[in-house]
Amino acid sequence: MKKILYLLQALLLLSACTEAVNDARQEATQPQIYPDYLGVTIPANIAPLGFGMADEEASLVDAVIADSHGHALHSQSKEAVCFDVDDWHALLGQNRGDSLMVTVSAKYADGWHTYRPFALYVSPDSIDYGICYRLIEPGYEVWSKMGIYERDLSSFDERPLIENTQFEGCVNCHSFNRGNPTDMSLHIRGAHGATLLRRNGELTAYNTSTNQTLGLCVYPYWHPSGRYIAYSTNTTNQIFHSADRNRIEVFDAASDLQVYDVETNELLLTPCLKQDSVYETYPVFSADGRSLYFCAARALPEGSLQLDSIRYNLCRIDFDPATGTFGSRIDTIIYAEAQRQSVSFPRPSYDGRFLCYTLSDYGQFSIWHHEADLYLLDLNTGESRPMVEANSDDTDSFHNWSSNSRWLVFSSRRDDGLYTRPYFCHVDTDGRVSKAFMLPQQNPRRFYRDRFLSFNVPDFITGPTLFDSYTASRLINDSYRKDFGVRQ
Amino acid sequence: MKTFHTLGSLLFGVAILLFFGLAYPHHLHYQEQFQLFLFDSAYVWDVIKLPGGVADLLGRFCTQFFLFAWVGALILALLFVAVQLLTARLASWGRLYGLCYIPAGLLWLFMLDENALLGGIWALLLSLLVAWGFDCLGEGRVRNILLVVVTPVLYWAVGPIGVVFLLLQAPRSYRLAWFYVALVIGILLPGVLSHYLPVRPESLWQGIHYHRYPGQLPGLLWLAAVSVPLLVFVARLLHRWANASSRLLVPILSFLLVAIGMGLLVKQNSNFKAEKTMQYDFMARHQQWNRILETIRVEKPNNQIGVTVQNLALAMRGQLVNNLTNYHQNGLLGLLPEVQRDATSPLPTAEAFYQLGMIYVAQRTVFEAQEAILDFQKSARCYKRLAQTNLITGSYPVARKYLLSLQKTLFYRDWANETLTLLGDEEAIAKHPEYGRLRKMAFADDFYFGDYITPDMLQSLYLSNPDNQLAYQYMLASFVLTGDRDRFVQFTSPDR
Repeated sequence: MKKILYLLQALLLLSACTEAVNDARQEATQPQIYPDYLGVTIPANIAPLGFGMADEEASLVDAVIADSHGHALHSQSKEAVCFDVDDWHALLGQNRGDSLMVTVSAKYADGWHTYRPFALYVSPDSIDYGICYRLIEPGYEVWSKMGIYERDLSSFDERPLIENTQFEGCVNCHSFNRGNPTDMSLHIRGAHGATLLRRNGELTAYNTSTNQTLGLCVYPYWHPSGRYIAYSTNTTNQIFHSADRNRIEVFDAASDLQVYDVETNELLLTPCLKQDSVYETYPVFSADGRSLYFCAARALPEGSLQLDSIRYNLCRIDFDPATGTFGSRIDTIIYAEAQRQSVSFPRPSYDGRFLCYTLSDYGQFSIWHHEADLYLLDLNTGESRPMVEANSDDTDSFHNWSSNSRWLVFSSRRDDGLYTRPYFCHVDTDGRVSKAFMLPQQNPRRFYRDRFLSFNVPDFITGPTLFDSYTASRLINDSYRKDFGVRQ
Repeated sequence: MKTFHTLGSLLFGVAILLFFGLAYPHHLHYQEQFQLFLFDSAYVWDVIKLPGGVADLLGRFCTQFFLFAWVGALILALLFVAVQLLTARLASWGRLYGLCYIPAGLLWLFMLDENALLGGIWALLLSLLVAWGFDCLGEGRVRNILLVVVTPVLYWAVGPIGVVFLLLQAPRSYRLAWFYVALVIGILLPGVLSHYLPVRPESLWQGIHYHRYPGQLPGLLWLAAVSVPLLVFVARLLHRWANASSRLLVPILSFLLVAIGMGLLVKQNSNFKAEKTMQYDFMARHQQWNRILETIRVEKPNNQIGVTVQNLALAMRGQLVNNLTNYHQNGLLGLLPEVQRDATSPLPTAEAFYQLGMIYVAQRTVFEAQEAILDFQKSARCYKRLAQTNLITGSYPVARKYLLSLQKTLFYRDWANETLTLLGDEEAIAKHPEYGRLRKMAFADDFYFGDYITPDMLQSLYLSNPDNQLAYQYMLASFVLTGDRDRFVQFTSPDR
């Protein structure tokens, strides 16, 4: 009896807070909402998709989300509707592989308008526990507060792993082995520069610079065995446009590749990947760990600033994980140079079916190129195509696969042309790509409007990182660094 | 005696008011431009979620008024007098009356540093207020329990300066056990919190946000804080002698002694050279070109910021080329200095870039300056300029983002509201006296730039739009300063 009374009380309270959608004008069109979630495919374990009207003029937004079995959720709010997390997961869990219909009504000065319902497709494929990213102002050379953060994708919880308020410097290039947070690589730059490696939960600070390599290790990628990490080493420069929408050019004046053997503490080098006449960068292991994909471009003459002539192709070299040795032949997988295009950020899916990469007009730092788009290479057929379903008119770049290879997270500037935000799309076993959806927030407009930070290098994690930031900052602030050895 | 005390406090307050209002106003402007106080719950939470956050928030709230130097000076006067009055109430000073001005005087010295933050002043003030409140409490268990409860709460509210409160309780009639419990809490708290908070462990001992330099121990602030219990201890020790007579002579003498000492210290430690530099930056920020010309006529600037501002003002009034050699120069770097990685020096340079129509360059310079603010705050001045540069370049969603943020401020709200109406309105922007003009003056051709501007870039800017008289003057000035006679003649010959 008491329970019923409580329930009635709660219902009364709820009904007092919501307004009935009466005498609504029925619109023939679907609603324009922010973020655009119309017709997107979502995993059953994603956080509730909060949204508002795109025009910001509605005084109330009302949404009913219903399945074909008669279950429904209702939400009404002034700015953004958002559903209870548990109810949402229950509804999505019951509709894996099915679709939900969302009916949106909005109250304007002339009364309520009800729009044609739109669908949300609930994929049978789950998404990983969360994503990890760096939050930083999209700036030039100087940095302010920044940090590495993790976000639980099934809720709205965001936690810092480490922030640069704990030491002097900047932090970048976090990397996990297929999303497994126990294997982690993280760079610290500045006065307390180091590379932090976490293996089986234990952290060590390394000096990755050796006298036989160009400099510090830069872009990392873990071998599926967890024994190796491929790194590039880059002499990176920045220069700025005086009158161009692309504000910044980040380019290499030299770059090589190397593989770090975690067990022997040695960098494995090969002359094939250390050519002075070639810029090699963005190394990634194939799903079976027997190949190393990377981007390579012809080097510019010293001092040249013909940056728009630097075009990277996608290349591959054999790698033997048993001996840690490289093949002697480099294959060109995508000859982008021929189309006056440039490949960056290759990422093979972990099931070995696809390789997703970014294509831009030139250079390798496509995140600052508004024309950059995502492409999908079918590793069985060798065919490559733009991911038009996920791409936008603005920058669509840095991306990573979920551990089941069915979801991609990528950075896009489509929202305002400057701040990168994480978007997700589904890729099925045949390479069909779904429309991308933005990382859900309870009140997305307020959240993304008030946050003056870009989501950098988003990567999936299969569980909470449980990163010990106290120990990490102690290691960073300490002067001790373990040196990398070298094996030629 | 009471009248003398009131008069003393009043004199002290007026001295502070006049000092900061007349002699040090641009230090206050400098402080204001390196923060962005938002009337927004997320912003408030962000500040108060760390130890010392309440004091920090109050400091930031007050600092936004520094936009108006006299209001800022008044706030400082009130805060310092409040510290003095609270110090005065903590003991019976008698003949030692002058000593109760020392903590507030030390705070004055602390605030001479442009990177000293008002949060530190509030931290001490709140600690003294709580200590005074405890003095008003009767003895007994409630007070004992409160001591243990207030110690960690005060630490969270004001940071480690809160230890002053604990020190002031030391000689009081607590049961020792309670006092030791509070002391242990006070000592252990920073160590424990260092495992959980994303800050440097040492900052939990010295204060997270008392000073703009994150790693710097604000020595004068700590001296002011520790001096309170120390002086109170001395006053209590000498209580009998200090209060043996009700004559005013000795208290007045002690007051005068401290006043003269403090006055000398303030004079010695004031940085009027920096004040002058800040004045140039202030005048450039507010586009007071005539005032700049009047100022440089009285005293020719000889530092980088002064020379940059002087040249900009001369150019804005069409006098740069003719007067170039009448003033100190520093080659091309005096015209448009190399962009440094600090928060201060790039701002006047960015003003010149902006006025010249080099909008992307100005945007980068302002953005970098803001990123270089040492305590990771944002700047209302920079937000305003970034909104303008994005508006001029047509990046309306980004301009809007800055403007919506400025809408949450006290003094930039009206401007933000006004500017929001321009977004996307091409016609209104074209007609706008500033934005319309600057849009037309932009570079026609894109090129790469780094940290310094060359005569070729200025020539390209001028050739992009020969109506850009500012670019013309800067270009000619650059030819003069680099000794490029040929090009100077080429662009000044009557038949060009």
